[in-house]
Amino acid sequence: MRDFMDFVQNAFCEQSHWNPNNFYGTLTATAKALLDFDTPKGLRLSASSLSSRNFATSYSLSNAGIVDGSLSFLYSSLPLQAESRSSAINLQDVIEGYRHLQDLRKPDEPWWWEVWHGGKRVDRKAALLYGRLYLPRSTLEALYLRRISPTRQLRISYVSDSSLPQGGNVLALLQTDAGRYSTEYLYSTDSALFGVRGLYNFGAFPSSDSSSKPATLPYEVRSPHGRFSAGAELYYGALNASGGLSTGIRFSTLPAHTGFPYTMTLTLNPLMGNLSSTYAVKAGGDVALCSRFDFNVYSYESELQIGCEIWRLKRAPPAKILQGLRTGKDANEPDVRPGEDVTGVLKARVDQNWNVGVLWEGRIKELLFSIGAGFDLRKREQIFRAVGLEIQYSS
Amino acid sequence: MAFNFNWSPLIADTSRARDMLTTALNKSPKPPIIVDDIIVNELNLGSVPPELEILEIGDLAEDRFRGIFRMSYSGDAFLTLKTRVQANPLNTYLSTRPSFASPQPLAASSSLTIPLQITLSDIRLSGFVVLVFSRQKGITLVFRNDPLESLKVSSTFDSIPFVRDYLQKEIEGQLRVLFMEDLPAIIHRLSLRLFVPEYQGSDETLSMENSTARVDPLSSSASDPVDPFQNSPFNSDSSSTETYASFSQKNLLRLATLTESQRTLSLFTPSMKETVFRAWAGSSERAENNGFGTPQLVGSTFSRAHSYTASTASAQTLSQSYDGVSIPSRPSLTSLSTMHSGLGSNYSRSRGHPGRKRKHRVVNLRRSGTSSADVSDTASVSTEASSNAASTSAPSWPLSDPAAVIVEKAEREGELQTPPQSPRKGVKFRSSEAENASEERGRDIQRQTPSTPKKNAAGTRDVDATPVATARGTSAPPLDERNFVSSARNALTSSSPSKSRPRLSEKQRPSWLTSRPPMSSTEFIQSSSGGILEQAWMMKMATEIARKVQEEKEQNGRNMWTRREAEACEGPPPAYTSS
Repeated sequence: MRDFMDFVQNAFCEQSHWNPNNFYGTLTATAKALLDFDTPKGLRLSASSLSSRNFATSYSLSNAGIVDGSLSFLYSSLPLQAESRSSAINLQDVIEGYRHLQDLRKPDEPWWWEVWHGGKRVDRKAALLYGRLYLPRSTLEALYLRRISPTRQLRISYVSDSSLPQGGNVLALLQTDAGRYSTEYLYSTDSALFGVRGLYNFGAFPSSDSSSKPATLPYEVRSPHGRFSAGAELYYGALNASGGLSTGIRFSTLPAHTGFPYTMTLTLNPLMGNLSSTYAVKAGGDVALCSRFDFNVYSYESELQIGCEIWRLKRAPPAKILQGLRTGKDANEPDVRPGEDVTGVLKARVDQNWNVGVLWEGRIKELLFSIGAGFDLRKREQIFRAVGLEIQYSS
Repeated sequence: MAFNFNWSPLIADTSRARDMLTTALNKSPKPPIIVDDIIVNELNLGSVPPELEILEIGDLAEDRFRGIFRMSYSGDAFLTLKTRVQANPLNTYLSTRPSFASPQPLAASSSLTIPLQITLSDIRLSGFVVLVFSRQKGITLVFRNDPLESLKVSSTFDSIPFVRDYLQKEIEGQLRVLFMEDLPAIIHRLSLRLFVPEYQGSDETLSMENSTARVDPLSSSASDPVDPFQNSPFNSDSSSTETYASFSQKNLLRLATLTESQRTLSLFTPSMKETVFRAWAGSSERAENNGFGTPQLVGSTFSRAHSYTASTASAQTLSQSYDGVSIPSRPSLTSLSTMHSGLGSNYSRSRGHPGRKRKHRVVNLRRSGTSSADVSDTASVSTEASSNAASTSAPSWPLSDPAAVIVEKAEREGELQTPPQSPRKGVKFRSSEAENASEERGRDIQRQTPSTPKKNAAGTRDVDATPVATARGTSAPPLDERNFVSSARNALTSSSPSKSRPRLSEKQRPSWLTSRPPMSSTEFIQSSSGGILEQAWMMKMATEIARKVQEEKEQNGRNMWTRREAEACEGPPPAYTSS
């Protein structure tokens, strides 16, 4: 389950017209959401509040170690309009599942953001300040997010921990999203790591010029049903002479696609000889399945993971279901009405070594909960590896 | 002082050392580049032991030792490790960083694990070692400084110079840490497992056999007396290192069998090696002189035998004659002594040889008509004895007891200007000893006596003659045994000075003894061999015992011993000349 502060950050990005899915780093987000979900360990409670439209607080307490807690505060210069009450919050925003790609949207024009008042520009770039303090561990996390322009965002994150060399680490990330392509430049002070990421989307793109293409083409340009994207990343650490490189491609269906939506990705690390391929499909309105196969060309190590996600609704009117089956369209977003009891998501994954992970997330009354467990079916005597419960309340 | 290293790599079982080294290497948190456990593949100690030079010894005791050494090693030991390492440096780097401020690459940090085999060889060590050994606490070995001088690391990545240098640097660092911190703990635990029994209980494979071995040494299967340091210190599987018993288990088993045979009347008498029978101890000198005996055996155990026998004698005599005297009694020794004497008799008895004349078991040593019988018996027995002695490795005089020894000592003391009363004490002692011996041995004595008359050499002394005469004078059937014993003792002791102290024998030759033919076995009595120390010690013990006896005797006036002595002193007391 996404943390409340992440939910608020997402709300900020949405509200400032920032699409986080159009970057190389999120190429395999669907597979990660369906296969790499975190099962909570121990007991964790968190109480959060969007006290005003600009300010959010969150406190959490967990029993990792003896006691582990954190305080976090967030300030957004952009008034946020998200529904933050845990009783009414949209579970789709909190629980990550199958990620549906939307059609590419042309980025905003820069002059859209200008706000004039009395002959002067009074608009300010949207910024977000966030800080989190882990109390027993004495670790501080800080984030500064600034929307420099409609296509550019600067993100500076900082961690201060005594266990780190140099006491802390600053990561600066400059993201540029031009719709058809996107680039990221990053620099980390720890080991002077430089990184470059880029993604390019193939296919038709709504051109900036609305009247560029005449409608007299011999064939009808339909809205694309799928999108093919390709990207690469490159890292170089100056201090410890380490580096990394990887490329990836993805094909995903768009909402215009009839039939079950699916996403296929393939990533390759040529230096390490790692090949990773995933295939995710949303079968029906409530079920999403995903599988991943990793293979290493040098060491011949392979790995297979299978996961599924099932949305449980307390009640589902039969008419709605039939309609969903007929059109196959509204199955994308199961209609979760506020006030429903014990609706949730059941996630499960299993890998080739019979490591099973189960997670159940949902809402009870006004609380959001998630219960998870990890099994190792090979060890009969020590099956339970990690069991946890997490409860969130936000207002 | 030299150190003898039992450094044989072929015999040394290093499996336990390998396991302990594996555990030690994996106990401390590994650097993130090492993905799998570090397993010790092979540990070869090489053929060259380290050189130790003693710098200082701080504490030295039977169960404690502390010393500072300078150790240098330049041998060909090698160690092979096996593990898996991470080949993606980005993966190693990012795995140790919090995810909040990490770049979170998509696939650039995917892992690639490579199996790695490392061989450490050409180890050069030189340093100062503090070695503390304690029987209770085991061995502690601490390096004062960093001992590692140089090391050669060869691995599967030798073709890549960057990785090779990196591995060399990293492993040298880790090994220094290992020598300074982990090796003392490993050696301490190993030593505790070897020496301290309680720690062996924690080892499930050794606990059962060790406990049974310790509880009942007689019931265990016959195992050779083990030198506890014979095994390699890394081989703690040997359960026999715990039995530091001063008695060999085999012999204890045989003794148990013999005691059983008294009840079961079994005729089997096991032969006991590496022992000294009480019967031998008195004539051990003669045995040595003759060379028939086991000089090495007798000589090596000379002091032990004499201490053993002397103490036995004192314990027996004093305990029996004086009730009020509390003696640090060692009943086990006395019982063993009787067992030994009994064994000796059995031993002589069981030594059957085909070409031997049948010896008479009953000998009448009465004065009147026994001289011829004695002669004949003497002859027969002497032949038997000589053949015995010639064929066996042990002297065939089972009837040697501390009294004879003491008398011998007394005789020598006479040479060395001991107080004149010693002969009397010796006399009294012998007769008392005769009584004790006879009571305990029963009929065995009669069997033993045939061998003794052969020792009636030409030379005797009045000292010896007097009690014999007394015994003969009061020859009652119940005293026959005592007579036999005393006469035997006389014979034994009389034969000793025949060669070395001819003047004495000539002076003090009683008539009845001269009738006996000189033995051919008088060569036994040369007392020139043997350690000077043992002789001096013997004499000292003899004087002490004699003095004690005299004191006790003077305390109790009325006593059968004094009566006997009065009888013995009917004639003129023998002059114990010292010159």
